[in-house]
Amino acid sequence: MQFSDFLLSNLEQFWHLTGFYNATWEHFVMLAVGLFFIWLAIKKDFEPMLLVPIGFGMLIGNIPFNATAGLEIGIYEEGSVLNILYNGVSAGWYPPLIFLGIGAMTDFSALIANPKLMLIGAAAQFGIFGAYMVALLLGFAPDQAGAIAIIGGADGPTAIFLSSKLAPNLMGAIAVSAYSYMALVPVIQPPLMRLFTTKKERLIKMRPARAVSQNEKIIFPIVGLLLTCFVVPSGLPLLGMLFFGNLLRECGVCNRLAKTASNALTDIVTILLGMTVGASTQASEFLTAQTIGIFALGFMAFIIASSSGVLFVKLFNLVLPANKKINPLIGNAGVSAVPMSARISNNLGLEYDPSNYLLMHAMGPNVAGVIGSAVAAGVLLGFLA
Amino acid sequence: MKKKLLLLLVAVVACATVVSAQGRRGLRINEVMVQNDSNFVDDYGCHSAWVELFNSTFAPLEISSVYITNDKNNPKKYPVPLGDVNTEIPSRQHIIFWADGQPARGTFHMNFELIPGQDNWIGVYDADGLTLIDEVTIPASLLPNTTYARKADGEGEGAEAWEVRDGNGDKYVTPSSNNIIKDTNSKVEMFSEQDENGFAMTIMAMGIVFSALLLLCICFYIISKIGERVSKHNKAKSHGAKLRELAKEERPEHDSGEEIAAIAMALHEHLDTHDQENTILTINKVKRAYSPWSSKIYGLREVPRR
Repeated sequence: MQFSDFLLSNLEQFWHLTGFYNATWEHFVMLAVGLFFIWLAIKKDFEPMLLVPIGFGMLIGNIPFNATAGLEIGIYEEGSVLNILYNGVSAGWYPPLIFLGIGAMTDFSALIANPKLMLIGAAAQFGIFGAYMVALLLGFAPDQAGAIAIIGGADGPTAIFLSSKLAPNLMGAIAVSAYSYMALVPVIQPPLMRLFTTKKERLIKMRPARAVSQNEKIIFPIVGLLLTCFVVPSGLPLLGMLFFGNLLRECGVCNRLAKTASNALTDIVTILLGMTVGASTQASEFLTAQTIGIFALGFMAFIIASSSGVLFVKLFNLVLPANKKINPLIGNAGVSAVPMSARISNNLGLEYDPSNYLLMHAMGPNVAGVIGSAVAAGVLLGFLA
Repeated sequence: MKKKLLLLLVAVVACATVVSAQGRRGLRINEVMVQNDSNFVDDYGCHSAWVELFNSTFAPLEISSVYITNDKNNPKKYPVPLGDVNTEIPSRQHIIFWADGQPARGTFHMNFELIPGQDNWIGVYDADGLTLIDEVTIPASLLPNTTYARKADGEGEGAEAWEVRDGNGDKYVTPSSNNIIKDTNSKVEMFSEQDENGFAMTIMAMGIVFSALLLLCICFYIISKIGERVSKHNKAKSHGAKLRELAKEERPEHDSGEEIAAIAMALHEHLDTHDQENTILTINKVKRAYSPWSSKIYGLREVPRR
C-alpha cells in the first residue's frame, strides 16, 4: 500500500466517524429543539434550572456519531459514561433523591393548618386519569397509557420514575414532555383559571392560616408516611423520601443533613437528571409519531389537571360556610409544579385585588399535589407493573 | 456511654441477623425429578435425579453453607460448598443440584441419591443446621422422567401447592427454568380486556388517591384539635386559670389579618415614634458546635515543602 493510499484510507475512516458524515435531518431537528429549550430558559426565564440541563443534554445526546463503531459514547451503549449516569434515570433512583430534596425544602405548614386543602391536590389528579382514558382510546397499551398519563401530575421526577418502570421505551419523550409543560405552567394555567372562575370568586379572601406548632410539623411526615404508604406501598420510594426529607427539615436536630438534601444533593441530582434526560432524546429513538402523541396527551393531561383543581374548589365551596370559602384561584396549584403554580395563583389573585395574597393558601394544595401525584403513581405501578 | 454503644451494637447485629434470615427464608424447593432416564443431562453427560431450588426474593441470594438433605435425622447431610460464585442465585431465578451421590464432581452434585418407588423427603436447612427453610415429600408414585413441581414458582405451602408434571399439555418439565412461562404482563392483559376505556382504573385510582389524602386530612384535623386543646390547657395552667375562663379571653373569630396588622402598626407608631432609625449595632455571637465530621483539621493538609 502506498503512503498516499494509507493516508487517504485512514482519513476516510475518520470522516466516517465524524458527526458531519453521520448526521441526518432528525439530528438537526433535535439539536434545534435543544437550542430552543436553552433559549427559553435563558431569555424567557422558563424553569432555567430544568431547561438548561435538559436543553444541553439534548445537544449532547444528538451529536451524530457512528453507532456501529462501538465507541461506547452513546447514552444507550452499555458501559459508556453517559450510560452510567443514565442509570439513575433508567433504574429510577434519581427521582426519589429529588423527592428527598423537595421534602427538605418544603414547609407543609399551610397544609397542616388547613388539611381540607389536601383534597384539592387529590382532585387535580383527574388530569392523570383523563389522559389515561384518552391514551387508551388512541391505542396505547394500559401500561404505556399509565406512564404517559402521569405527565398530568406535573411532577417530573414522578413521571420519570413511573415511566422507567412501566414504559422505559417512552421515558425520554415523557420526561421531556413533563418538564416542558412544567416550564410552561405560567402560560397554560392563567387562561384556564380565568375561564372557569367569575370575578366575584377571584376576589374571595381566605382567612389567614393558623400558626402550626413544631410538634405538628414533626408529626406530619411520620403520620403522612405511615398513612399514605399503608394505602399505597408502591409509592414508597417517592413518598418515603419526600417525608424523610421533611422530617430532616422539621426535627431541628439534623439541620446539616436537611441543608445538604435541599441544596447540594438536589442540585447535583437535578444536573444529572436534567442532562441525562435531555441526552436520552436521541433522534433515532425520540422522533417518532408516538412522541407527538405523548406531547399532545401530556398537554391535555395538564389542562384537565389544572381545570379539575379549579372546578373542584368551586364545587367544594358549595358545601363550605360563607366565612370559610376557598378562592378557586388556588385550585390550579393542585398540580405538583412546586412552587410555580402556587405563585401563579398568588399573582392572579393580586391582579384582581392587590391586597389578596394567596401564596400561602396555594402552597397547601401545591404540596398536596406532590403527595397526590406520588400516590397516583404508586396506584398505577401497583395495578400495571 | 459504653452501655449505649453496646446496645447499639446489639441492635445492629440483631438487624443483620434478621435481614440475613429473611433472605435465606426466601429459598424454595421448586421442582424435583427422582428418576431421570432420558431427561435433563448434567455436565458429565449423565442422567441423574435433580432438585431445583428457587430464589423467591427480589434480590440475589447467596446459598453457600445452607444444607440440603434427604434425612430428617441428619440435617447437615450436604452443605452447599463455600467459595463458588455460582452459588449466588439471581433474583427470582433457579439453580439445580444433582442427587447423584457424587460430591466429588463439583458444587452442584450432592452426596445422596433419591430412591425411586418410595417417598423421598427433601429438606433445606439454614447455615445453623437447625432452621428448616423448606421441605417437600416426593410421592412414591412419581413415574420416571416426570417431576414433582410447584404450580407457581416458589409459591404456596403444603401438598396442594405441588403437582406432578409429565411433559404433556401445559405440564411441561422445566429444569432450571420457570414453572410457569409468562410471555405477557397478566395485569396489563387483564386491564386491556376488562377495562378498554379506562373508567374502572379512573374510578379505582381516584378513589384510592382521595381516600389516602382524606385519611391524612382527617388525621391532621384531629391532631390539630388535640394540639389546640393541649396548648390551651398549658396556657391555662401557666395563667393559673381554668380552661373555661381562658376560652372567654380568646380573640374573636372575626379577627382578620388586617385588624392585627393595624393594631401592630398603631402600637409601633405609639411606642417607637422616631423619624430616624436608631443606630444600634447588635453583634450576635455565632456559635458552632464542634464536630469532627466538619473539622478542617481532617479535611486540609499542609502544602508539601521542598
